[in-house]
Amino acid sequence: MSMMQTFRRRIGARALASLPALLGVIVFTFVLMRVLPGDPAVYFASGPNAGQAEIDGLRHKMGLDRPMPIQLAHYVAGIMTGDLGNSLTTGQPVMHDIQARLPASLELTLTALGLSLLLSLPLGIVSAWYANSRWDQCIRTLCTICFCIPPFVSAIFLIYVFYYIFGLVPDPTGRINIFTPLPHDITGFLLVDFLLTGDPAGWREAAGQLLLPAVTMALFVLSPLTRMTRASLLTVMNSDFIRTARAMGLPTWRIVTVYALRNALSPILTTIGIVFSTMLGANVLVEKVFSWPGVASYALDALVASDYAPVQGFILLMAILFIMVNLLVDILQGLVDPRVSME
Amino acid sequence: MAVAGVTSRTPCDGIGHEGIRGMGITRRQGLLGALSFAAPAVLPVMADARQNGTTLRHITGNTVNTLDPTMLGATHESFGVSMNVYDRLVTFGRKQSGSIWTFDPDIITGELAERYEISDDGCTITLHLRPDATWHDGTPVTIDDVKWSLDRGVSARSLTAPQFSSGSLTSTEQFRVAGPRTIEILLPRPDRLALANLAMPYAIMINSRLARRHATPDDPWAQQWMQQNTAAGGAYRVERFTPGVNIILTRNDAWGARSAGTSPFFERVISQTVPEATTRASLVERGDADIVIDLEAYDVIAMMARRRVRINSVFQSNCFTHLAFDTQSPPFDNVKVRQAIASALPYQDMFTASLFGRGHPLFDAGWRETPSDISFPQALPLATDLTLARQLLADAGFPDGFATTFSYATSQATTAEPMAALIQEALKRIGIRVDIRKLPDAEFNTLEAEKRLPFYTDTAAGWIQRTYYFFYLYFTRNQRWNFSSWNSPRMVDLTGAARFETDRARYEDACRKMIALLADQVPLIMLWQPNMDAVTSPDIDGFTYQFHRQIDFRSLRRV
Repeated sequence: MSMMQTFRRRIGARALASLPALLGVIVFTFVLMRVLPGDPAVYFASGPNAGQAEIDGLRHKMGLDRPMPIQLAHYVAGIMTGDLGNSLTTGQPVMHDIQARLPASLELTLTALGLSLLLSLPLGIVSAWYANSRWDQCIRTLCTICFCIPPFVSAIFLIYVFYYIFGLVPDPTGRINIFTPLPHDITGFLLVDFLLTGDPAGWREAAGQLLLPAVTMALFVLSPLTRMTRASLLTVMNSDFIRTARAMGLPTWRIVTVYALRNALSPILTTIGIVFSTMLGANVLVEKVFSWPGVASYALDALVASDYAPVQGFILLMAILFIMVNLLVDILQGLVDPRVSME
Repeated sequence: MAVAGVTSRTPCDGIGHEGIRGMGITRRQGLLGALSFAAPAVLPVMADARQNGTTLRHITGNTVNTLDPTMLGATHESFGVSMNVYDRLVTFGRKQSGSIWTFDPDIITGELAERYEISDDGCTITLHLRPDATWHDGTPVTIDDVKWSLDRGVSARSLTAPQFSSGSLTSTEQFRVAGPRTIEILLPRPDRLALANLAMPYAIMINSRLARRHATPDDPWAQQWMQQNTAAGGAYRVERFTPGVNIILTRNDAWGARSAGTSPFFERVISQTVPEATTRASLVERGDADIVIDLEAYDVIAMMARRRVRINSVFQSNCFTHLAFDTQSPPFDNVKVRQAIASALPYQDMFTASLFGRGHPLFDAGWRETPSDISFPQALPLATDLTLARQLLADAGFPDGFATTFSYATSQATTAEPMAALIQEALKRIGIRVDIRKLPDAEFNTLEAEKRLPFYTDTAAGWIQRTYYFFYLYFTRNQRWNFSSWNSPRMVDLTGAARFETDRARYEDACRKMIALLADQVPLIMLWQPNMDAVTSPDIDGFTYQFHRQIDFRSLRRV
């Protein structure tokens, strides 16, 4: 059997195995939203003179006047056809909202993760190679500081310094200057779309908007990535084959990047997977501060309003993403280290 | 009033600008260096936010969720947009006090109607359509469009029907086409609110031919289609609408060109959602945004000192913050308990702590038995008197006090939190133990609507500023906006008579009695009217405080 086929079979098996978990997530969030106090109909029928008749009308429109099992059946049947219900907060189908907003969140998270890796891998390597030196101490202090400052504090601080005082970055209001025409929606990732449509000015602008929120998030996850790189490398560095390599007089860079890092990559990959999944959901405050039209702030707005459908849709999306990220990490693990098998 | 689409509050709001300012230059430079290392050469040349002066950028913490303001669940921002996009038959005038413009609740003039007449018996309102009015698609406005729009108001399941019923507008038969440009509104009784109801955001005039093309048998009034599309003829058209993110309006030049019309100054209006209040403050102070009306009071105060922006502070004359009791359950069903609490509160301290004094107090009035005028909301004779409070509480049968809870919604925490602490402390002195409960908005609204909060604070705004309307809306009937579930037969009689009273002296007498009754029975303690702080760039002029508490872009200009 070829390698591709093996992969495909494994992915199929994984997808099947995750179905019960997804169903559990759907039922759990469905029930949870309805058990939580707060009635969306009351919240939204809040105009002057809107009385019980309007509340009942809204409940009927949302289907909340039917028994819960029937509501659940309708909801699950809707998911089968790609219908996640309607959001009252935006007045749009949830599926449409998520399609429009997920690329924004992914673009931000991936950029932040990329930035963070660019910093944390070298820092972790230095830290491990010169373990317990002054360099190591400095890096550990930096990590502690980055980890201690909550992202919204660093976000507001960065905005204050780079936007309000020095005016070095564009105003922190979303993915693109509101006066700039948007590229054709190809992937939804603005940086990619501007590249594809060959608009360097637009690309620079989108990158400028992305810079501060991405740095904010990158700083927050710098610590776990650096620490994991350091710990994992340290274990490897003490093993026999590294001592052999040193004894044979191989250059340091070669020992670190080719032999040590590759063997240390497995726990780092796992950490990246966890960090990525956490970032997607946890960047809600960063999205709020930077008016980033992502899925997390969308879900939070909906939660405040007890708007059931968007919250359920968001949690389902997170579950699916989590499963996909885990699968991807497992595949990569197999590539990095043939001793690790997906089975 | 519960405001849909509430901005989420985050703890970061506690960081004022001044605090961070004190940091040394070295730290700044260090960070700058670190940042340019992380991402070199990405800093773009700043695009001028408003390349020409005729674009207005408005930022807000809330969102527009529909283009049809009559939709159940429409947010307040949606009302604001519809005022600029749609016309109504009539509109309120505006008046100037000092440098501030506000709407004038006593003057109603034509908008899509050129003029109107009210018959002597007050039962027929005749409205004459402008001769040269057109819809956004260029077709002329016909009287059938007006008839269809009014019929939709009373027939469709929307927010319009309950609002219209407060003006005795309930059936399609009341709207009679009396000529090619004339419509008559027939009232069963001379309802004093009928005309004002036609100026509400719910009374939009719709291009019926366009809307009907998108009607379906299930949806004869095209409500589904109108959520995402407009069939309007107002001063602005919707260029782009991204729900939850922004809405862009462009000027409809035909609107200003029609007879006796004035063209709005701004060619383009961008209304953008920026959830974080601190970010909104930075944007307007940096000059990247032109107008914002929902900032936090402490940001506004800091801005006043720096003098980079223009701050239009106007107390919201049709709005009031209050403390409500559940008057249907013990202990607050006892009027003496309510009076005791009303005598124990440190009003002035609460006013200072919650609003930094930025508003209009509704306590410490000079009158005792009867108010000197019938304006409402007006200050009531409430004052702190702890001896009296203890006496009243003892008379009520609670010499040792009792325990209760005091609730408020999370979105109001910045003003309600200091207020709650002062209430707790003051009531402890007369023996009442208060447990403070801060509730998420959706939960708070549900409990409030279900009348399950014994003692709480909220803010309400009535769109039609008539004394009778405020009492009818907030102090009668078993309905949601009767915050304290007050059931006073005398108040019901007074409002019932005032509604159709055509004699001015008798109406005013009834209104005085309503105000005096409220002051005596205190089903609810009126505290104050908070200011609206419309913060604009220094070159923006003409801001007008409107009854709907959103921005009327039509009156703004850049000087």
